[in-house]
Amino acid sequence: MVKLAAKCILAGDPAVGKTALAQIFRSDGTHFQKNYTLTTGVDLIVKMVPVPDTGDSVELFIFDSAGKELFSEMLDTLWESPNVLCLVYDVTNEQSFSNCSKWLEKARSQVPGTSLPGVLVGNKTDLAGRRAVDAAQAHEWALGQGLEFFETSVKDTKNYEAPFQCLARQFHQLYREKVEVFHALA
Amino acid sequence: MRKVDLCLSSEGTEVILATSSDEKHPPENIIDGNPETFWTTTGMFPQEFIICFHKHVRIEKLVIQSYFVRTLRIEKSTSKEPVDFEQWIERDLVHTEGQLQNEEIMAHDGHATYLRFIITSAFDHFASVYSISAEGIAISNLS
Repeated sequence: MVKLAAKCILAGDPAVGKTALAQIFRSDGTHFQKNYTLTTGVDLIVKMVPVPDTGDSVELFIFDSAGKELFSEMLDTLWESPNVLCLVYDVTNEQSFSNCSKWLEKARSQVPGTSLPGVLVGNKTDLAGRRAVDAAQAHEWALGQGLEFFETSVKDTKNYEAPFQCLARQFHQLYREKVEVFHALA
Repeated sequence: MRKVDLCLSSEGTEVILATSSDEKHPPENIIDGNPETFWTTTGMFPQEFIICFHKHVRIEKLVIQSYFVRTLRIEKSTSKEPVDFEQWIERDLVHTEGQLQNEEIMAHDGHATYLRFIITSAFDHFASVYSISAEGIAISNLS
């Protein structure tokens, strides 16, 4: 049995629902924050995620930091040495999706020469009438970037666990691969 | 006095703490004298382990075999208990793609009862330590 620990950074434009996603995950679907508050510093959410069929688990240390440009210098410190990335956009906001490539680049620049497992999450699917980002298009972009793709509605507590479970699985897989490398070197 | 490898479980040395533990790759692998076994870190850095000699020793040379370790800090204590560690050695290691890092350190003032190894950063998400040997002499038993 192995207990891994992973630093997970949440990235994406302001108001796409990063904090709401983290909080609903922390509270197992019981806490949806109705009023928007701009995240200015950082919130740390720690949660154990079991990896199915293994007996192993990954403790995710989710760094929920500000999406607002104003705080971007602080991110260089807060985002130091990430293990996994959760990239969030709002399906009703085209701009928040197109900015994902910028966020992804910033996250990857934290770990040059090392892979950074990640997921792309389109949030707010409950606002179906205002959808501006096509799921298929987003999925295709995610695949091209080596990210797994999910759509969620934090408001309807829909699919909010899947992205984190996927990150835990990816990190666990990465560990197994590295242990193979360590074996081969011995 | 006889120079020996002080970092061997067969000499009575123990790992008394490690921040990571995969039961398949426990920290005891570092001092088992078998270069094929290793200890892995399992997450975020820093990661550390503490070696207890169960006696007063004087270390002259350290050899550390590892992979993906970037910055290594070594502290030592001369107390009976694992307390009062003082900074001793700090090294930035070089990544050696496809082969183990083999770091040799000539030690000054190597009096110790405990050594604390802290991996403060790595070249990847995980790092491994295969063996540590400490050439030196056993000075006296802890009384």
